[in-house]
Amino acid sequence: MPTALVYAVLVITVVIAGLVVLRPGITVARGGKILAFLGLFILPVFAGVVGLDNHVERSKATTFCLSCHVMEPYGKSLHVDDPAYLPATHFQNHRVPADQACYTCHTDYTLYTGGIKAKIRGLHHIYAQYLGTAEHPIKLYKPFNNRECLHCHLGARSFEQGTTHSAIMVDIKSNQLSCVTSGCHDTVHNVSHLDQVKMWSPAQ
Amino acid sequence: MTEATETNTGFIAKKLRLAGALVIAGLVVEGVTLWWNHPLSFIAFIGLGGLLMAAGIVIYLLALVNPPKS
Repeated sequence: MPTALVYAVLVITVVIAGLVVLRPGITVARGGKILAFLGLFILPVFAGVVGLDNHVERSKATTFCLSCHVMEPYGKSLHVDDPAYLPATHFQNHRVPADQACYTCHTDYTLYTGGIKAKIRGLHHIYAQYLGTAEHPIKLYKPFNNRECLHCHLGARSFEQGTTHSAIMVDIKSNQLSCVTSGCHDTVHNVSHLDQVKMWSPAQ
Repeated sequence: MTEATETNTGFIAKKLRLAGALVIAGLVVEGVTLWWNHPLSFIAFIGLGGLLMAAGIVIYLLALVNPPKS
């Protein structure tokens, strides 16, 4: 639900709840009871659900991921001026949505997807960021899954019919041969070398 | 209106005021967190806003099902 609509729900709920707070006597009548039930139960629960949904949606934003200090070099790596850098070339050429760049390739790793374990990890990351010590450099919990590449590339003519990929397609699809660690597309974020590479600046 | 009914009404009114105030406080916190796209805003939304709203809802429901004995 768009943020404006969430705010509309919040305002309507505040008005009804405020009416009950200011004039609790209205609940003596049947209409007042219904109003109180709406303003103190139905609408707050609804507002909470749509608010949670809004937060989940916003957590997919690149700016959300990069708001943690430990993620800064990974954000910087998206601006490397070298097409061999896989995340950079995807980000700069909009092969992934620029405003959801991290989420698109790391869908099993975010706070709100990938099951309960991923959620607990996400909360642990927040703890490590503000109260503990974040690991540096950070590491993926599991090897990068080809699934994250294939949810865009699968079915694309250039990928499916290209001689290089078609020869090893079975191994790619079964995740037996990793796209990023088998020596084919192994230049990924490489954050330890960012001070040695040229950076790209988008035209203002 | 009998004395017992007045006591009940006063009790319910007090609980409704408290529940309403908590729900409103929770909604205000939710509104503020929606301005800020940051992991901490989510924590504030759940940990503070959610808690206040849940407390308000629980107080309201308890007042409905558990009125004072007259």
